[in-house]
Amino acid sequence: MKAASAPSYRMPEPAFTLRTTVSYIEKKRKRRVAKEIVTGCCGCCNALRPRYKRLVDNIFPVNPQDGLVKSNMEKLTFYSLSSPEKLDRIGEYFYQKASRDIYRRRHGFVIIAMEAMDQLLVACHAQTLNLFVESYLKMVQKLLESTEPKLQILATQSFVKFANIEEDTPSYHRRYDFFVSKFSAMCHSNEDRPYMRNQIRLAGIQGLEAVVRKTVSDDLVENIWEPVHMDKIVPSLLFNMQESGFHMKEVGSVEAAPEDELDPPTLAESCLRELVGKASFGHIKAVLKPVLRHFDLHELWCPNQFAVHTFRIIIFSIQAQYSYTVVESLMAHLDENSKSSPEIRTSIADVLSKIIAIAAGESVGPSVLEIINSLLCHLRDSVKNGINQAEEKQYQDALINALGEFANHLPDYQKIEIMMFIMSKIPFPPKVNQTPADNLLQSILLKSLLKVGTKYQTIHFNTTFPVSFLEPLLRMSLAPDPEMRLLVQKILHTLIDRHNNLEKLSKATVLVSDLDLVLEKSSRPDLIFINKHGPVIYDALYTSLQIETNSVENIEAIYTTVSLLCVELASAEVVIDIIQLLLGIQNLAITNTSLSASQAYNLHVLVISVFELICVVFDLPSLQKYANKIIAARRKQDHFLLPEMLSHYPDNHYPNPKEPFVYLEQTAICDILREDGLDPSRLSQTSPYGAGGPGAIAGTSQRHSWSETNARGSVVDIGTTQDVDSESSSPGVQKKLPEEKLTFEHMKRVLTEPPEARKEAEAEKREELNNFFRTATLAEIMQRTKPKHEDLQTKLQEIFKSLSSSEVHRSPTHQKKVEQEIPVYEQNFPEMFAY
Amino acid sequence: MEDYKFLFKVVLVGNAGVGKTCLVRRFTQGLFPPGQGATIGVDFMIKTVEVDGEKVKLQIWDTAGQERFRSITQSYYRSAHALILVYDISCQPTFDCLPDWLREIEEYASSKVLRILVGNKIDREDREIPVHVGEDFASRHNMYFLETSAKEADNVEKLFMKIAEDLMQQARSKDLLRYDKDTANITGKTSVITDSNCCSRLT
Ligand SMILES: Nc1nc2c(ncn2[C@@H]2O[C@H](COP(=O)(O)OP(=O)(O)O)[C@@H](O)[C@H]2O)c(=O)[nH]1
Ligand SMILES: [Mg+2]
Repeated sequence: MKAASAPSYRMPEPAFTLRTTVSYIEKKRKRRVAKEIVTGCCGCCNALRPRYKRLVDNIFPVNPQDGLVKSNMEKLTFYSLSSPEKLDRIGEYFYQKASRDIYRRRHGFVIIAMEAMDQLLVACHAQTLNLFVESYLKMVQKLLESTEPKLQILATQSFVKFANIEEDTPSYHRRYDFFVSKFSAMCHSNEDRPYMRNQIRLAGIQGLEAVVRKTVSDDLVENIWEPVHMDKIVPSLLFNMQESGFHMKEVGSVEAAPEDELDPPTLAESCLRELVGKASFGHIKAVLKPVLRHFDLHELWCPNQFAVHTFRIIIFSIQAQYSYTVVESLMAHLDENSKSSPEIRTSIADVLSKIIAIAAGESVGPSVLEIINSLLCHLRDSVKNGINQAEEKQYQDALINALGEFANHLPDYQKIEIMMFIMSKIPFPPKVNQTPADNLLQSILLKSLLKVGTKYQTIHFNTTFPVSFLEPLLRMSLAPDPEMRLLVQKILHTLIDRHNNLEKLSKATVLVSDLDLVLEKSSRPDLIFINKHGPVIYDALYTSLQIETNSVENIEAIYTTVSLLCVELASAEVVIDIIQLLLGIQNLAITNTSLSASQAYNLHVLVISVFELICVVFDLPSLQKYANKIIAARRKQDHFLLPEMLSHYPDNHYPNPKEPFVYLEQTAICDILREDGLDPSRLSQTSPYGAGGPGAIAGTSQRHSWSETNARGSVVDIGTTQDVDSESSSPGVQKKLPEEKLTFEHMKRVLTEPPEARKEAEAEKREELNNFFRTATLAEIMQRTKPKHEDLQTKLQEIFKSLSSSEVHRSPTHQKKVEQEIPVYEQNFPEMFAY
Repeated sequence: MEDYKFLFKVVLVGNAGVGKTCLVRRFTQGLFPPGQGATIGVDFMIKTVEVDGEKVKLQIWDTAGQERFRSITQSYYRSAHALILVYDISCQPTFDCLPDWLREIEEYASSKVLRILVGNKIDREDREIPVHVGEDFASRHNMYFLETSAKEADNVEKLFMKIAEDLMQQARSKDLLRYDKDTANITGKTSVITDSNCCSRLT
């Protein structure tokens, strides 16, 4: 080091003194600084008075170990504050000195130079900073370019300080490209000495953090969100995080690292948090893309602890309103991985399910349905992928789980929307050539629906079951596939049960008082609901019980549904309706020869169990006495008529229809109800399910017409088509008398057309509709049927009018039928068509 | 003490183990490193050379060959002025992977990037790829070709010098001159190309 020339304490000298020294400078130049950068030809040589150089030289001690010469540093600082126009030259001179020292491996002096520059940087006024920054950054870069880890770390620390300084007018041509590249490389240091490796990586992360801080607020300086930067920064952070393995530890056992002991994983994590937190909507993808890519390349999906950990960090740090972008990206990533192994997809879906709840709270409007739709699409694709693989099934479960988690955190009104949306995606009625994949898709979608349903808490039935939801649900309760029917019942259970009685009512029993049921008086809206929709529901349940493919689970599930309805909708009217239904079911068990013995037994068990339940729930002592008599008789004569429901009964064992006192009797019940203060008159009218008592088959045909006009008639042509379909695809559905499948369309024709023409037109119409329903979406079907329903009401009115005005023309049988049915139409139709 | 008129970024790619790091070390430090660990992510070296009396600074980015670091390594392709694609002449699989590497280069690097194919380890006796096969491949894909030995320091200097010369030629072409004027306008300074920003914009 050259000797320090005598320090001058004078303030900047006048211009003439400067001139006198020019020749001296020239000499010096030739001798020592020949390789100095040629800064240009602006002819400003006269400003190059070496005073600043001397001041700079003076801060260096003879021995680098002695450190910065503090008093001289003060002089330099004072000088540069008073002559800020010299700052760029001071900086440049420092840079040249340091370059030389690095080259000669005199690191002690380099460190001192850096320290001095740091101090000048801090001392500079904001307005003048710009003059200095250029050479300062060149200096930092120079140090980073050296192979000496110590210098690299020093430079990074200095850069971090620089990044914390607020600049008034950042220089727009400044670029941080090199810093991002170099710091990212440092994050991946593979230095042999572990301690040094850690230090270099730590410095790399700190450097990246500093660049982000420096640039994030001003895109003009450097758009740090450009992929060219993010593709370096993000993997560098993740690479350091994944090495920690602390995400593998149990949640409870995570000990916070000592505050002062920074380690790369912890720092990388906090840096990622900061980065994500600063990302605006337009930038979020630039962060997420390299994250996803990193997980792919480093095979970090399976097992997925680190992925879950990382995505939790992301979703908690991201500005809340963008959180659904994370969900969206993960889902898009599932798309991209459609060819990957089911294990990977399951893991991704699992990550999704673990963060989706957090996003749900912030998702609004269309994004909600988009997310649901996307999940459903993935389910559909998965079904296409493979039907029998266990791994694929796990993937589906993970998706359904995600769906449930998502729905769980949405407000209830959105849950209903979602349920209706899922419903609209279920392909129904089943196709004629239904494949196992179609079946699977239906049942998977129903499972999703069930999942959402379990997260929903019913308050009023009319909000839970809008007609547009209830109606297709009931239709699906008659699906040919028993699995699917069971799912529909389970959906009904979870939606009907408001008092946590579901568990208690899951198995048929006559020991009702042991159940400890929670009861509450039903509200007016509920009673209005069941008045309106009860008949359709009961009919769907009744019809479902006729299906030959029912297992004991199917029948028991219907028991649960009926019981829940009793418990949740206790009213005098409901009592009568349900007793009527029970009588119908009992009749079915006795007369329907296509049911197996075990099905018949199961039905009897259902009947007595619900009957007993009614007595307890509605507190009907006389009726209960009657019930107990029957139970006692059954216990004596055929205990298989009592719970529990079995799937197999002893060979050649059938319920004996002739056995006295073991079945409910309509007339007896009517009398007893009167004793209990209820009006049984409706019960003594002709039952919609048949005459009621054992052996009274006479009324069956009427029940059919009733049911057709309600449950199926309500959807008119859809109902007809479905019947056609189910006949061809499922022999299980009872359709003995096709002539009886009356809809109003049909009825009108019956009344007005000659039989031949009617049959022809009907066949044609069915064909056409069949085609339509095979190809149309549910939305289209709704569209198509909607105006019809409205039409129908007008038509009905016409018919009724014409009936009353011209009865003479009707045959007696027709007349009778129509007359009986009038009240039912009036009661049920207007609402049924109110989509 | 050094300064430079041109700065170029050179990126080395190729399968792990072909000798990229050794090539860089040989060139920048003049040594053949004994058993250093595999590169992870990216590594960085610098060397200033003289071409036609001008200082040329080469920023050399040495990348990890493993698949798992692909996302970070690819992000370095874009700003590269020259890409050195290395294979091991004694290891057929490293040659067979070249088309994959080219595909990546096509996708992530600038179309103007200078591409050099290097068959390394010619000191080895167990050659599997004949010289002409490498040459053919290079000419078919419009690349320079050179065989090297990092161990014996064969052609290593030549490789980087060739790159420096070629890039300097390019840099002196019209495109660059026009660019220099822009720089002058923005910075209000002279047309000296000194820092990385000008070169990143070259691409
Ligand atoms: N014989 C021979 N071995 C070499 C040569 N270059 C590299 N190697 C060896 O090849 C191995 C991998 O080298 P390295 O530079 O780490 O490869 P990289 O993964 O492409 O960076 C090391 O064991 C080196 O010693 C060479 O020119 N000749
Ligand atoms: Mg390497």
